[in-house]
Amino acid sequence: MSLPQDFIKTAKMCGLKHALDNKGHFYVSGDKVVSKQELKGVKLRSRETKEGVKAEVIIQKGVKIKEPLFFCFGILKKKQEQFIIPHITVEEGAEVEIVAHCSFPHAQETVHDMEAEFNLGKNSKFSYQEHHYHGKNSGAQVYPKLKLNMEEGSEFNSNFVLTQGTVGETKIELEGNLKKRAKANIESKVLGKNSRDNVEIVDKINLKGAGSKGLIKMRAAARNGGRVLMQGETYASARDAFGHVDCQEIVVGKNSSARAVPIVEVSHDQARVTHEASVGKINQKELETLMTRGLSEEEATELIINSMMK
Amino acid sequence: MTNILEVKNLSLSSPENGTKLLHKVNFSVAPGEIHSLLGKNGSGKSTLAYALMGLKQYDYRRGGIFFEGQDISREETHQRARRGMTLTFQEPCRFEGLTVRDFFQAGNKKAGEKEIKKNLDLVGLSADFADRRIDENLSGGERKRLEIASVIIMKPKLIIMDEPDASLDIIVYNEFYDLLINIKEELNCSILLITHREEAGIAADRATLLEEGKTVDTGDFRQVMRLYCSRMGRQTECHKNKRCCQQNCGNKDSE
Repeated sequence: MSLPQDFIKTAKMCGLKHALDNKGHFYVSGDKVVSKQELKGVKLRSRETKEGVKAEVIIQKGVKIKEPLFFCFGILKKKQEQFIIPHITVEEGAEVEIVAHCSFPHAQETVHDMEAEFNLGKNSKFSYQEHHYHGKNSGAQVYPKLKLNMEEGSEFNSNFVLTQGTVGETKIELEGNLKKRAKANIESKVLGKNSRDNVEIVDKINLKGAGSKGLIKMRAAARNGGRVLMQGETYASARDAFGHVDCQEIVVGKNSSARAVPIVEVSHDQARVTHEASVGKINQKELETLMTRGLSEEEATELIINSMMK
Repeated sequence: MTNILEVKNLSLSSPENGTKLLHKVNFSVAPGEIHSLLGKNGSGKSTLAYALMGLKQYDYRRGGIFFEGQDISREETHQRARRGMTLTFQEPCRFEGLTVRDFFQAGNKKAGEKEIKKNLDLVGLSADFADRRIDENLSGGERKRLEIASVIIMKPKLIIMDEPDASLDIIVYNEFYDLLINIKEELNCSILLITHREEAGIAADRATLLEEGKTVDTGDFRQVMRLYCSRMGRQTECHKNKRCCQQNCGNKDSE
Protein backbone atom coordinates (compact mmCIF):
# COMPACT_ATOMS: atom_id res chain seq x y z
CA MET A 1 0.00 0.00 0.00
CA SER A 2 1.34 3.40 -0.86
CA LEU A 3 1.26 6.61 1.12
CA PRO A 4 -2.25 8.12 1.55
CA GLN A 5 -2.90 11.06 -0.77
CA ASP A 6 -3.36 13.52 2.11
CA PHE A 7 0.15 12.79 3.35
CA ILE A 8 1.58 13.17 -0.16
CA LYS A 9 -0.11 16.55 -0.37
CA THR A 10 1.25 17.77 2.98
CA ALA A 11 4.72 16.39 2.21
CA LYS A 12 4.74 18.45 -0.97
CA MET A 13 3.52 21.46 0.99
CA CYS A 14 6.52 21.02 3.29
CA GLY A 15 8.91 20.91 0.35
CA LEU A 16 9.50 17.14 0.49
CA LYS A 17 8.40 16.26 -3.04
CA HIS A 18 11.89 15.00 -3.78
CA ALA A 19 11.69 12.38 -1.02
CA LEU A 20 8.36 10.83 -2.07
CA ASP A 21 9.90 8.60 -4.73
CA ASN A 22 12.70 7.34 -2.54
CA LYS A 23 12.79 3.56 -2.36
CA GLY A 24 13.70 2.98 1.27
CA HIS A 25 10.69 3.99 3.32
CA PHE A 26 8.53 3.42 6.36
CA TYR A 27 4.95 4.69 6.54
CA VAL A 28 2.63 4.68 9.53
CA SER A 29 -0.95 5.94 9.42
CA GLY A 30 -2.71 6.07 12.77
CA ASP A 31 -1.70 2.89 14.59
CA LYS A 32 -0.98 0.84 11.43
CA VAL A 33 2.17 0.36 9.41
CA VAL A 34 0.95 0.93 5.85
CA SER A 35 4.16 0.33 3.94
CA LYS A 36 7.85 -0.29 4.43
CA GLN A 37 10.78 -1.05 2.17
CA GLU A 38 14.24 -2.14 3.23
CA LEU A 39 17.36 -1.45 1.22
CA LYS A 40 20.60 -3.38 0.99
CA GLY A 41 22.39 -2.69 4.25
CA VAL A 42 19.26 -1.34 5.93
CA LYS A 43 17.21 -3.56 8.27
CA LEU A 44 13.74 -2.33 9.07
CA ARG A 45 11.54 -4.24 11.50
CA SER A 46 8.24 -3.05 12.90
CA ARG A 47 5.48 -4.29 15.17
CA GLU A 48 2.02 -2.94 15.93
CA THR A 49 1.53 -3.40 19.67
CA LYS A 50 -1.06 -2.27 22.19
CA GLU A 51 1.42 0.30 23.33
CA GLY A 52 2.02 1.69 19.85
CA VAL A 53 4.04 1.10 16.68
CA LYS A 54 7.54 -0.12 17.43
CA ALA A 55 10.15 0.19 14.74
CA GLU A 56 13.75 -0.88 14.65
CA VAL A 57 15.97 0.47 11.90
CA ILE A 58 19.57 -0.63 11.53
CA ILE A 59 22.02 0.84 9.06
CA GLN A 60 24.66 -1.85 8.97
CA LYS A 61 28.34 -1.36 9.65
CA GLY A 62 30.18 0.58 6.95
CA VAL A 63 27.13 0.92 4.69
CA LYS A 64 26.74 4.32 3.08
CA ILE A 65 23.19 4.94 1.90
CA LYS A 66 23.19 7.44 -0.93
CA GLU A 67 19.48 8.14 -1.30
CA PRO A 68 17.67 9.39 1.83
CA LEU A 69 15.16 7.06 3.50
CA PHE A 70 11.69 8.58 3.76
CA PHE A 71 9.61 8.04 6.88
CA CYS A 72 6.05 9.26 7.31
CA PHE A 73 4.10 9.12 10.55
CA GLY A 74 0.61 10.52 10.15
CA ILE A 75 -2.95 10.59 11.39
CA LEU A 76 -5.80 11.07 8.93
CA LYS A 77 -8.63 11.14 11.46
CA LYS A 78 -9.76 14.24 13.32
CA LYS A 79 -9.46 12.44 16.66
CA GLN A 80 -6.93 9.71 17.26
CA GLU A 81 -3.95 8.92 19.41
CA GLN A 82 -0.73 7.63 17.95
CA PHE A 83 2.34 6.35 19.73
CA ILE A 84 5.51 5.60 17.79
CA ILE A 85 8.62 4.03 19.29
CA PRO A 86 11.43 4.11 16.73
CA HIS A 87 14.92 2.89 17.51
CA ILE A 88 17.43 3.79 14.84
CA THR A 89 20.96 2.44 14.93
CA VAL A 90 23.63 3.65 12.57
CA GLU A 91 26.46 1.19 13.00
CA GLU A 92 30.18 1.93 12.92
CA GLY A 93 31.27 3.81 9.80
CA ALA A 94 27.76 3.81 8.29
CA GLU A 95 26.19 6.92 6.76
CA VAL A 96 22.53 7.69 6.22
CA GLU A 97 20.07 10.49 5.75
CA ILE A 98 16.47 10.12 6.88
CA VAL A 99 13.75 12.55 5.89
CA ALA A 100 10.73 12.24 8.17
CA HIS A 101 7.31 13.76 7.69
CA CYS A 102 4.79 13.92 10.55
CA SER A 103 1.42 14.87 9.18
CA PHE A 104 -1.91 15.46 10.93
CA PRO A 105 -3.84 17.39 8.27
CA HIS A 106 -7.32 17.11 9.82
CA ALA A 107 -6.26 17.31 13.45
CA GLN A 108 -8.89 18.48 15.89
CA GLU A 109 -8.11 16.31 18.86
CA THR A 110 -5.23 14.18 17.71
CA VAL A 111 -2.31 13.16 19.87
CA HIS A 112 1.03 12.13 18.44
CA ASP A 113 3.47 10.75 20.97
CA MET A 114 6.92 9.51 20.12
CA GLU A 115 9.73 8.04 22.12
CA ALA A 116 12.69 7.72 19.82
CA GLU A 117 16.19 6.50 20.43
CA PHE A 118 19.00 7.07 17.95
CA ASN A 119 22.29 5.26 18.44
CA LEU A 120 25.25 6.33 16.35
CA GLY A 121 28.23 3.98 16.14
CA LYS A 122 31.85 4.98 15.96
CA ASN A 123 32.60 7.35 13.04
CA SER A 124 29.07 7.05 11.66
CA LYS A 125 27.11 9.93 10.11
CA PHE A 126 23.40 10.49 10.45
CA SER A 127 21.48 13.36 8.93
CA TYR A 128 17.88 13.62 10.11
CA GLN A 129 15.23 16.04 8.88
CA GLU A 130 11.79 16.12 10.44
CA HIS A 131 9.12 18.24 8.77
CA HIS A 132 5.79 18.53 10.53
CA TYR A 133 2.35 19.55 9.36
CA HIS A 134 -0.33 19.85 12.04
CA GLY A 135 -3.32 21.04 9.99
CA LYS A 136 -5.08 24.39 10.02
CA ASN A 137 -7.07 24.11 13.24
CA SER A 138 -4.39 24.08 15.94
CA GLY A 139 -5.96 20.77 16.99
CA ALA A 140 -2.85 18.62 17.26
CA GLN A 141 -1.04 17.64 20.42
CA VAL A 142 2.45 16.53 19.56
CA TYR A 143 4.94 15.20 22.10
CA PRO A 144 8.10 13.74 20.58
CA LYS A 145 11.05 12.75 22.75
CA LEU A 146 14.42 11.74 21.40
CA LYS A 147 17.35 10.17 23.16
CA LEU A 148 20.56 10.41 21.17
CA ASN A 149 23.64 8.34 21.95
CA MET A 150 26.76 9.14 19.96
CA GLU A 151 29.93 7.10 19.94
CA GLU A 152 33.42 8.39 19.22
CA GLY A 153 33.81 10.41 16.02
CA SER A 154 30.16 10.16 15.03
CA GLU A 155 28.25 13.05 13.47
CA PHE A 156 24.58 13.93 13.78
CA ASN A 157 22.83 16.74 11.93
CA SER A 158 19.15 17.32 12.53
CA ASN A 159 16.64 19.84 11.33
CA PHE A 160 13.17 20.07 12.83
CA VAL A 161 10.75 22.23 10.84
CA LEU A 162 7.22 23.24 11.77
CA THR A 163 6.46 26.29 9.66
CA GLN A 164 3.50 25.19 7.53
CA GLY A 165 -0.02 25.17 8.98
CA THR A 166 -0.60 25.61 12.71
CA VAL A 167 1.30 24.27 15.70
CA GLY A 168 -1.39 23.30 18.23
CA GLU A 169 0.21 22.04 21.43
CA THR A 170 3.75 20.85 20.71
CA LYS A 171 6.38 19.85 23.23
CA ILE A 172 9.65 18.45 21.97
CA GLU A 173 12.48 17.09 24.06
CA LEU A 174 15.84 15.99 22.79
CA GLU A 175 18.79 14.83 24.84
CA GLY A 176 22.10 13.91 23.29
CA ASN A 177 25.12 12.29 24.90
CA LEU A 178 28.31 12.75 22.94
CA LYS A 179 31.49 10.78 23.34
CA LYS A 180 35.00 11.66 22.16
CA ARG A 181 35.10 13.85 19.00
CA ALA A 182 31.39 13.35 18.31
CA LYS A 183 29.60 16.29 16.68
CA ALA A 184 25.92 17.19 16.93
CA ASN A 185 24.22 20.00 15.07
CA ILE A 186 20.60 20.40 16.15
CA GLU A 187 18.38 22.95 14.39
CA SER A 188 14.72 23.80 14.98
CA LYS A 189 12.43 26.17 13.12
CA VAL A 190 8.93 26.82 14.37
CA LEU A 191 6.21 29.31 13.56
CA GLY A 192 3.33 29.82 16.04
CA LYS A 193 0.43 31.48 14.25
CA ASN A 194 -2.43 32.04 16.68
CA SER A 195 -3.47 32.01 20.32
CA ARG A 196 -4.08 28.23 20.24
CA ASP A 197 -0.52 27.58 19.15
CA ASN A 198 1.88 26.78 21.96
CA VAL A 199 5.26 25.24 21.33
CA GLU A 200 8.04 24.29 23.68
CA ILE A 201 11.31 22.87 22.49
CA VAL A 202 13.98 21.68 24.89
CA ASP A 203 17.21 20.56 23.26
CA LYS A 204 19.90 19.31 25.59
CA ILE A 205 23.42 18.28 24.64
CA ASN A 206 25.88 16.63 27.02
CA LEU A 207 29.43 17.00 25.73
CA LYS A 208 31.01 14.14 27.65
CA GLY A 209 33.86 13.20 25.35
CA ALA A 210 37.10 15.06 24.68
CA GLY A 211 36.85 17.24 21.56
CA SER A 212 33.10 16.73 21.24
CA LYS A 213 31.14 19.57 19.69
CA GLY A 214 27.53 20.65 19.86
CA LEU A 215 25.55 23.37 18.14
CA ILE A 216 21.94 24.09 19.04
CA LYS A 217 20.32 26.56 16.66
CA MET A 218 16.74 27.60 17.31
CA ARG A 219 14.59 29.90 15.20
CA ALA A 220 11.01 30.77 16.00
CA ALA A 221 8.34 33.34 15.36
CA ALA A 222 5.20 33.88 17.41
CA ARG A 223 2.37 35.70 15.66
CA ASN A 224 -1.17 36.71 16.52
CA GLY A 225 -1.11 35.38 20.07
CA GLY A 226 1.13 32.35 19.48
CA ARG A 227 3.50 31.27 22.26
CA VAL A 228 6.97 29.87 21.85
CA LEU A 229 9.56 28.63 24.33
CA MET A 230 12.94 27.51 23.14
CA GLN A 231 15.35 26.09 25.65
CA GLY A 232 18.81 25.14 24.48
CA GLU A 233 21.02 23.44 27.05
CA THR A 234 24.64 22.46 26.67
CA TYR A 235 26.75 20.82 29.36
CA ALA A 236 30.45 20.40 28.67
CA SER A 237 32.49 18.16 30.94
CA ALA A 238 35.47 17.10 28.85
CA ARG A 239 38.72 18.53 27.53
CA ASP A 240 38.34 20.61 24.33
CA ALA A 241 34.59 20.14 24.26
CA PHE A 242 32.92 23.08 22.56
CA GLY A 243 29.28 24.01 22.41
CA HIS A 244 27.20 26.90 21.16
CA VAL A 245 23.53 27.76 21.64
CA ASP A 246 22.04 30.24 19.20
CA CYS A 247 18.44 31.28 19.58
CA GLN A 248 16.46 33.90 17.67
CA GLU A 249 12.78 34.47 18.17
CA ILE A 250 10.54 37.11 16.63
CA VAL A 251 7.32 38.33 18.19
CA VAL A 252 4.61 39.83 15.99
CA GLY A 253 1.12 40.97 17.03
CA LYS A 254 -0.75 41.37 20.29
CA ASN A 255 -0.51 38.69 22.98
CA SER A 256 2.19 36.76 21.15
CA SER A 257 5.07 35.72 23.32
CA ALA A 258 8.46 34.15 22.92
CA ARG A 259 10.92 32.95 25.53
CA ALA A 260 14.48 31.82 25.08
CA VAL A 261 16.16 29.89 27.85
CA PRO A 262 19.78 29.10 27.18
CA ILE A 263 21.49 26.97 29.81
CA VAL A 264 25.21 26.52 29.46
CA GLU A 265 27.33 24.72 32.00
CA VAL A 266 31.01 23.86 31.87
CA SER A 267 32.70 21.53 34.33
CA HIS A 268 36.11 21.14 32.71
CA ASP A 269 38.67 23.95 32.57
CA GLN A 270 39.57 23.12 28.95
CA ALA A 271 36.00 23.21 27.66
CA ARG A 272 33.96 26.14 26.41
CA VAL A 273 30.32 26.85 25.68
CA THR A 274 28.91 30.08 24.23
CA HIS A 275 25.39 31.28 23.62
CA GLU A 276 23.55 34.09 21.87
CA ALA A 277 19.89 34.94 21.94
CA SER A 278 17.68 37.58 20.45
CA VAL A 279 13.99 37.75 21.27
CA GLY A 280 11.48 40.38 20.29
CA LYS A 281 10.33 42.58 17.47
CA ILE A 282 11.67 42.39 13.96
CA ASN A 283 14.94 44.18 13.40
CA GLN A 284 13.96 47.73 12.43
CA LYS A 285 16.81 48.18 9.98
CA GLU A 286 15.87 45.01 8.10
CA LEU A 287 12.30 46.31 7.84
CA GLU A 288 13.41 49.76 6.70
CA THR A 289 15.75 48.34 4.08
CA LEU A 290 12.98 46.26 2.54
CA MET A 291 10.53 49.17 2.71
CA THR A 292 12.95 51.33 0.72
CA ARG A 293 12.76 48.54 -1.89
CA GLY A 294 9.00 49.01 -2.15
CA LEU A 295 7.65 46.44 0.32
CA SER A 296 4.96 47.47 2.77
CA GLU A 297 5.67 46.83 6.45
CA GLU A 298 3.49 43.69 6.37
CA GLU A 299 5.17 42.35 3.23
CA ALA A 300 8.61 43.04 4.68
CA THR A 301 7.70 41.28 7.96
CA GLU A 302 6.48 38.24 6.03
CA LEU A 303 9.65 38.06 3.95
CA ILE A 304 11.94 38.40 6.99
CA ILE A 305 10.13 35.66 8.93
CA ASN A 306 9.94 33.32 5.96
CA SER A 307 13.60 33.75 5.14
CA MET A 308 14.60 33.11 8.74
CA MET A 309 12.64 29.84 8.60
CA LYS A 310 14.30 28.64 5.40
CA MET B 1 11.79 70.29 -17.12
CA THR B 2 10.33 69.26 -13.74
CA ASN B 3 12.92 68.47 -11.13
CA ILE B 4 13.01 64.87 -10.00
CA LEU B 5 13.21 66.05 -6.38
CA GLU B 6 12.42 69.37 -4.80
CA VAL B 7 12.76 70.11 -1.15
CA LYS B 8 10.98 73.32 -0.27
CA ASN B 9 11.40 75.06 3.08
CA LEU B 10 11.52 71.72 4.84
CA SER B 11 11.56 72.06 8.61
CA LEU B 12 11.21 69.17 10.97
CA SER B 13 11.89 68.33 14.56
CA SER B 14 12.35 65.36 16.81
CA PRO B 15 9.04 63.89 18.02
CA GLU B 16 10.68 62.93 21.33
CA ASN B 17 11.96 66.28 22.54
CA GLY B 18 10.97 68.82 19.90
CA THR B 19 14.60 69.57 18.94
CA LYS B 20 14.81 71.24 15.55
CA LEU B 21 16.57 68.89 13.14
CA LEU B 22 16.10 70.64 9.81
CA HIS B 23 15.20 74.26 9.28
CA LYS B 24 13.95 75.66 5.96
CA VAL B 25 15.99 73.30 3.81
CA ASN B 26 15.77 74.12 0.11
CA PHE B 27 17.36 72.37 -2.81
CA SER B 28 16.47 70.41 -5.92
CA VAL B 29 17.81 67.50 -7.94
CA ALA B 30 17.41 67.62 -11.70
CA PRO B 31 16.72 64.56 -13.88
CA GLY B 32 19.98 62.77 -14.73
CA GLU B 33 21.99 64.72 -12.17
CA ILE B 34 24.43 63.48 -9.53
CA HIS B 35 23.92 65.86 -6.66
CA SER B 36 26.16 65.78 -3.59
CA LEU B 37 24.86 66.57 -0.16
CA LEU B 38 27.76 67.95 1.86
CA GLY B 39 28.14 68.85 5.49
CA LYS B 40 30.08 67.88 8.54
CA ASN B 41 28.93 65.19 10.97
CA GLY B 42 25.71 66.18 12.69
CA SER B 43 24.75 68.74 10.04
CA GLY B 44 21.55 66.83 9.22
CA LYS B 45 22.53 64.97 6.02
CA SER B 46 21.36 61.53 7.11
CA THR B 47 18.29 62.99 8.84
CA LEU B 48 17.41 64.64 5.55
CA ALA B 49 17.98 61.40 3.63
CA TYR B 50 15.72 59.44 6.00
CA ALA B 51 13.10 62.19 5.90
CA LEU B 52 13.13 62.17 2.09
CA MET B 53 12.51 58.43 2.20
CA GLY B 54 9.88 58.71 4.97
CA LEU B 55 11.84 56.39 7.22
CA LYS B 56 11.65 58.08 10.60
CA GLN B 57 8.67 59.57 12.35
CA TYR B 58 9.66 63.22 12.43
CA ASP B 59 7.37 66.11 13.26
CA TYR B 60 6.91 68.01 10.02
CA ARG B 61 6.69 71.69 10.88
CA ARG B 62 6.50 73.20 7.44
CA GLY B 63 7.53 72.84 3.83
CA GLY B 64 7.41 69.78 1.69
CA ILE B 65 9.12 67.10 -0.36
CA PHE B 66 8.15 66.92 -4.00
CA PHE B 67 8.97 64.00 -6.27
CA GLU B 68 8.34 64.68 -9.96
CA GLY B 69 6.18 67.60 -8.88
CA GLN B 70 4.00 65.55 -6.50
CA ASP B 71 3.96 66.26 -2.76
CA ILE B 72 5.06 63.01 -1.12
CA SER B 73 5.67 64.42 2.37
CA ARG B 74 2.89 62.31 3.94
CA GLU B 75 3.49 59.11 1.99
CA GLU B 76 4.89 55.95 3.56
CA THR B 77 8.33 54.68 2.64
CA HIS B 78 7.14 51.87 0.36
CA GLN B 79 4.83 54.26 -1.50
CA ARG B 80 7.76 56.57 -2.18
CA ALA B 81 9.84 53.59 -3.29
CA ARG B 82 7.11 52.50 -5.66
CA ARG B 83 7.15 55.97 -7.21
CA GLY B 84 10.80 55.36 -8.11
CA MET B 85 12.97 56.65 -5.27
CA THR B 86 15.10 54.54 -2.99
CA LEU B 87 18.03 54.66 -0.60
CA THR B 88 21.24 52.78 0.08
CA PHE B 89 22.31 52.65 3.71
CA GLN B 90 25.75 53.60 4.93
CA GLU B 91 25.90 50.42 7.01
CA PRO B 92 23.77 47.92 5.11
CA CYS B 93 22.07 45.36 7.31
CA ARG B 94 22.34 41.60 7.06
CA PHE B 95 19.42 39.23 6.84
CA GLU B 96 19.45 35.69 8.12
CA GLY B 97 18.23 33.32 5.46
CA LEU B 98 17.61 35.88 2.72
CA THR B 99 19.59 35.14 -0.41
CA VAL B 100 20.92 37.80 -2.73
CA ARG B 101 18.34 36.65 -5.29
CA ASP B 102 15.50 37.08 -2.73
CA PHE B 103 16.85 40.50 -1.81
CA PHE B 104 17.03 41.66 -5.42
CA GLN B 105 13.56 40.29 -6.17
CA ALA B 106 12.13 42.12 -3.14
CA GLY B 107 12.84 45.30 -5.11
CA ASN B 108 11.89 43.91 -8.50
CA LYS B 109 9.70 40.80 -8.54
CA LYS B 110 10.19 40.40 -12.28
CA ALA B 111 13.99 40.30 -12.12
CA GLY B 112 15.13 37.09 -13.80
CA GLU B 113 18.45 35.29 -13.63
CA LYS B 114 19.92 37.26 -16.54
CA GLU B 115 19.14 40.58 -14.90
CA ILE B 116 20.39 39.45 -11.50
CA LYS B 117 23.66 38.32 -13.06
CA LYS B 118 23.99 41.58 -14.99
CA ASN B 119 23.54 43.63 -11.81
CA LEU B 120 26.06 41.55 -9.90
CA ASP B 121 28.49 42.02 -12.76
CA LEU B 122 27.91 45.78 -12.71
CA VAL B 123 29.15 45.98 -9.12
CA GLY B 124 32.01 43.56 -9.76
CA LEU B 125 30.55 40.44 -8.17
CA SER B 126 30.31 36.99 -9.79
CA ALA B 127 27.03 35.31 -10.72
CA ASP B 128 27.34 32.72 -7.93
CA PHE B 129 26.60 35.48 -5.41
CA ALA B 130 22.91 35.11 -6.34
CA ASP B 131 22.66 32.03 -4.10
CA ARG B 132 24.67 33.47 -1.24
CA ARG B 133 22.89 34.48 1.92
CA ILE B 134 23.12 38.08 3.10
CA ASP B 135 24.58 37.08 6.43
CA GLU B 136 27.77 37.55 8.39
CA ASN B 137 29.73 35.49 5.86
CA LEU B 138 29.73 38.41 3.43
CA SER B 139 32.50 40.96 3.84
CA GLY B 140 31.62 44.61 4.45
CA GLY B 141 32.73 45.51 0.92
CA GLU B 142 30.64 42.75 -0.67
CA ARG B 143 27.61 43.82 1.32
CA LYS B 144 28.05 47.44 0.19
CA ARG B 145 28.27 46.37 -3.45
CA LEU B 146 25.13 44.26 -3.03
CA GLU B 147 23.34 47.22 -1.48
CA ILE B 148 24.03 49.25 -4.61
CA ALA B 149 23.13 46.38 -6.97
CA SER B 150 19.89 45.81 -5.09
CA VAL B 151 18.69 49.33 -5.82
CA ILE B 152 19.89 49.37 -9.43
CA ILE B 153 17.69 46.35 -10.15
CA MET B 154 14.66 48.42 -9.10
CA LYS B 155 15.37 50.77 -12.01
CA PRO B 156 14.65 53.81 -9.82
CA LYS B 157 14.43 57.40 -10.97
CA LEU B 158 16.29 58.67 -7.89
CA ILE B 159 18.81 56.88 -5.68
CA ILE B 160 19.73 58.46 -2.35
CA MET B 161 23.12 57.12 -1.28
CA ASP B 162 24.12 57.63 2.34
CA GLU B 163 27.92 57.85 2.36
CA PRO B 164 28.58 54.88 0.08
CA ASP B 165 32.17 56.09 -0.28
CA ALA B 166 32.93 56.11 3.46
CA SER B 167 35.68 53.59 4.27
CA LEU B 168 36.49 52.98 0.59
CA ASP B 169 40.16 52.49 -0.12
CA ILE B 170 41.61 55.60 -1.75
CA ILE B 171 42.71 53.60 -4.79
CA VAL B 172 39.18 52.57 -5.64
CA TYR B 173 37.60 56.04 -5.58
CA ASN B 174 38.01 56.45 -9.33
CA GLU B 175 36.31 53.10 -9.92
CA PHE B 176 33.55 53.91 -7.50
CA TYR B 177 32.70 57.28 -9.00
CA ASP B 178 32.85 55.72 -12.48
CA LEU B 179 30.32 53.20 -11.23
CA LEU B 180 27.99 56.03 -10.19
CA ILE B 181 28.32 57.61 -13.62
CA ASN B 182 27.59 54.23 -15.22
CA ILE B 183 24.52 53.73 -13.07
CA LYS B 184 23.27 57.21 -13.88
CA GLU B 185 23.74 56.69 -17.60
CA GLU B 186 22.42 53.15 -17.73
CA LEU B 187 19.27 53.89 -15.71
CA ASN B 188 18.93 57.50 -16.82
CA CYS B 189 18.36 58.26 -13.15
CA SER B 190 19.45 60.89 -10.64
CA ILE B 191 21.63 60.26 -7.62
CA LEU B 192 21.65 62.20 -4.36
CA LEU B 193 25.07 61.41 -2.94
CA ILE B 194 25.76 62.09 0.71
CA THR B 195 29.50 62.39 1.07
CA HIS B 196 32.45 64.12 2.68
CA ARG B 197 34.80 63.33 -0.19
CA GLU B 198 36.16 66.03 -2.45
CA GLU B 199 36.84 63.36 -5.06
CA ALA B 200 33.07 63.05 -5.46
CA GLY B 201 33.58 65.93 -7.89
CA ILE B 202 34.66 63.27 -10.39
CA ALA B 203 31.01 62.30 -10.65
CA ALA B 204 28.92 65.04 -9.07
CA ASP B 205 27.36 67.84 -11.10
CA ARG B 206 26.04 69.99 -8.28
CA ALA B 207 26.05 70.05 -4.50
CA THR B 208 24.16 71.37 -1.51
CA LEU B 209 25.85 72.25 1.76
CA LEU B 210 24.03 71.72 5.05
CA GLU B 211 25.05 73.26 8.34
CA GLU B 212 23.14 72.76 11.58
CA GLY B 213 20.14 71.54 9.64
CA LYS B 214 20.05 74.55 7.30
CA THR B 215 20.92 74.97 3.64
CA VAL B 216 24.02 77.15 3.36
CA ASP B 217 24.55 76.94 -0.36
CA THR B 218 23.44 74.96 -3.37
CA GLY B 219 24.91 75.02 -6.85
CA ASP B 220 28.02 74.00 -8.79
CA PHE B 221 29.93 71.20 -6.98
CA ARG B 222 33.32 72.98 -6.91
CA GLN B 223 31.86 76.21 -5.63
CA VAL B 224 29.95 74.49 -2.84
CA MET B 225 32.88 72.22 -1.94
CA ARG B 226 35.17 75.26 -1.63
CA LEU B 227 32.69 76.92 0.67
CA TYR B 228 32.43 73.70 2.69
CA CYS B 229 36.21 73.53 3.09
CA SER B 230 36.49 77.19 4.07
CA ARG B 231 33.75 76.72 6.66
CA MET B 232 35.70 73.76 7.99
CA GLY B 233 38.75 76.03 8.25
CA ARG B 234 40.83 74.28 5.64
CA GLN B 235 41.78 74.52 1.99
CA THR B 236 40.36 71.99 -0.43
CA GLU B 237 42.71 69.09 -0.04
CA CYS B 238 44.61 67.82 -3.08
CA HIS B 239 44.65 64.02 -3.32
CA LYS B 240 46.86 64.14 -6.44
CA ASN B 241 44.15 62.35 -8.30
CA LYS B 242 44.24 63.58 -11.89
CA ARG B 243 40.52 63.40 -12.47
CA CYS B 244 39.75 64.98 -9.12
CA CYS B 245 42.22 67.80 -9.83
CA GLN B 246 40.62 68.45 -13.20
CA GLN B 247 37.33 68.92 -11.40
CA ASN B 248 38.46 70.64 -8.24
CA CYS B 249 41.87 72.19 -7.51
CA GLY B 250 43.61 72.22 -10.92
CA ASN B 251 46.90 70.80 -9.58
CA LYS B 252 48.91 69.91 -12.71
CA ASP B 253 51.36 67.70 -10.78
CA SER B 254 48.74 65.11 -10.01
CA GLU B 255 49.28 61.57 -11.22
